[in-house]
Amino acid sequence: MKCEICDRESGEGEFCIAHSRTYIKVVEGYEIWKKGLRITWEDYLRRIRDNSLTGKWAKEVAEYLIDKGEEENVEKS
Amino acid sequence: MKQKSAVSELEDRTLIITEKPDAAARIANALDENGKPRKATDSGVPFYIARRGGEIVIVPALGHLYTVGSLEKDRKSYPIFEYKWIPLCEAERNAKRIHAWIATISKLAENAEIFIDACDYDVEGSIVSYNALKFACGEKQNSAKRMKFSTLTKHEIENAYLDKKPTLDFSLIDAGLARHEVDWLYGVNLSRALTAAVKRNSGAYTTISAGRVQGPTLRFIAGREKTILGFVPTPFWFIRTVVELGDAILEVEHEKKTFNVKEEAERVVKSCEGKRGRVEAIENSEFTLAPPPPFDLGSLQSEGYKLFGFTPIQTSKIAQRLYLDALISYPRTSSQKLPPAIGYRAILKNLLKDPEHEEFAASLLDKPALKPQEGKGEDTAHPAIYPSGNLPERTHGKAERKIWNLVVRKFMASFGDHATSSNTEATIEVEGNRFHATGVKTVNEGWIRYYKPYISSFTKFLPPMKETEVVKVRRMEVEERFTRPPPRYNPSTILKKMQKEGIGTKATRAGIVQTLYDRKFIRERNIEVTELGLEVVDVLVTNCPAVTSPRLTRILEEKMTRIQNGKTTREEVVRGVIETLRPIMENLKDNEQEIGKQLSQALGKARLKDRAIGSCPTCKTGRLLIVRSKKTGKRFLGCTQYFEGNCRTSFPLPQQGLVRSSGLCRLCGWSKIRILRKGKLPWNICFNPRCPGKKKEGFK
Repeated sequence: MKCEICDRESGEGEFCIAHSRTYIKVVEGYEIWKKGLRITWEDYLRRIRDNSLTGKWAKEVAEYLIDKGEEENVEKS
Repeated sequence: MKQKSAVSELEDRTLIITEKPDAAARIANALDENGKPRKATDSGVPFYIARRGGEIVIVPALGHLYTVGSLEKDRKSYPIFEYKWIPLCEAERNAKRIHAWIATISKLAENAEIFIDACDYDVEGSIVSYNALKFACGEKQNSAKRMKFSTLTKHEIENAYLDKKPTLDFSLIDAGLARHEVDWLYGVNLSRALTAAVKRNSGAYTTISAGRVQGPTLRFIAGREKTILGFVPTPFWFIRTVVELGDAILEVEHEKKTFNVKEEAERVVKSCEGKRGRVEAIENSEFTLAPPPPFDLGSLQSEGYKLFGFTPIQTSKIAQRLYLDALISYPRTSSQKLPPAIGYRAILKNLLKDPEHEEFAASLLDKPALKPQEGKGEDTAHPAIYPSGNLPERTHGKAERKIWNLVVRKFMASFGDHATSSNTEATIEVEGNRFHATGVKTVNEGWIRYYKPYISSFTKFLPPMKETEVVKVRRMEVEERFTRPPPRYNPSTILKKMQKEGIGTKATRAGIVQTLYDRKFIRERNIEVTELGLEVVDVLVTNCPAVTSPRLTRILEEKMTRIQNGKTTREEVVRGVIETLRPIMENLKDNEQEIGKQLSQALGKARLKDRAIGSCPTCKTGRLLIVRSKKTGKRFLGCTQYFEGNCRTSFPLPQQGLVRSSGLCRLCGWSKIRILRKGKLPWNICFNPRCPGKKKEGFK
């Protein structure tokens, strides 16, 4: 299969290795944002997408999740 | 004809080989009885004839004259494990003059009786002369003698000539030869495998290089890049607090420094804002700061980058020029030690003659004893970098002057006293919250006096205060901040990392980083890894992880040291490397097709990126690419949507020079391009024909 974000090989999963690893970081990051700011998953994704410190791959994952309207913490492979 | 006779006139002479022409001139001047050696040339190769009892001929090499090359003529097949040392001109197209150089050395060697190696006293210098003596002089390496010096001053050269070592340092040479051979084996095999893989997939020839040291270096830069690419910032909060203390205004810091929950920070602000508190405690302490050790090459490169923005290669070249001008000692050293034999007082006395350093040199000479602060770095061949005491004889460029001053100041600072500062920390209590304020004052400048232009002040003002004194909170606000990704490596920090990981040598590290730039694996001063670089690392990690492992390189470095110590041989080490490489190369060959596909895709993306200038101002969806017209052969900017039949936007381009993207125009917001032409200043153009800036710039 191809990665939903970058067209690289993704094996059986939705994302390639780089975007899978980044997805986990995005999910983990939300726990810290939620605790510190009482923020919803959607707002969180928008804020990290617009933050200049967010890495390119993390922005791509956030953008993809926003477009897809995905809900919080869905398991990815 | 005249030059030819200059060579044939000479008989029964001593032949001294130096590493570079400038060093030959210095050595000839120092050794000639009258300080006026005769300069001659043969086929454009300079050499010097000095008189000192008998006749001494001093001929320079031009750095390495020989290199490792393949026994086979086929330049594409791999694996390849057979090699020999060959003249550099046979391996590199742009090294044609090496042929004349070798011929001249051979001619001068014909009538020579005594051979002396006066190349730089380190691994590379020893190899330069060893190969010249072996191949150009007809196997004279075993009878040659060795001059050892750290500065090119007359005094030291004369001493080195009178007290020359009876033989070359063969263990050092063997270790160096082994390093060159091992690096060649890794470099040629890996590079040919990757290049062949791309050729097989795309049909196009593109050199993709990899090597024993390049691999691990690129791997850890890529590791940092991946962390940055996947970085998710998280918020934290900081309370900016300003208090009034009598007439003074003071910024203080909450004892918690940062808050992970915004509401917590807001609660503190709510409880303290506008309230009064008191000074709870004042603590005074003193700390001392030891003088810095003198420079080794790494710390000089690091300081050169931090203070002046010079890349490590620039600093290294400047330092080398200063060494050849006999102004500083040999710069390619790992030592941070200054032995008394260099003559501390004599150097300082000479520096008294320089108005810029006179005052400082005089104050050091007043000290009853001079003992430099030394670092841990050691080098058996040379001491730390120090000024020779000679003053510049010619007008030096600003960059050379800056590095020379830096070396002089650091040398003097290393003899300075400890600096002492007093530290005051006040604790202020407001509504059960504690805040801290810190002040620092220099009590005794010590060594800082000598190094002042290059060190920022430690002073931080704190108004006078007493315990129980009342303070009023004047302003408090919560500031949101975010965690930051790790910093990118820069030309200085990458060298430090390589040094820490034991990768490369002081002489090779900067060159390896430059190769990564040249191959377009990395870009920018704050190093970014390109897609091609990331892909190459992935290919190497998947197919031959060992060659990207710093461990392998470290083990090899240990083996080189063992050769130097006589505990193993060059042949044994090279044999081991071939045994390691054989299965790696087989694996790469088996996976050539898949590797080729992966690298070709990355190359395609990289090329597209190179050609893309910005987004199309008309359709807003396409990108503007540099395209060449099949009809006219001229280049222009065209929209990528043209091929889908959606957009026909195009713009003319200047036909000369390299075209690079140059961000957005400040006046109209369109993309700008920069034209780079050899020997001319860069030309920035906004390609919007109606840009308001056009009239000003006179661009049509």
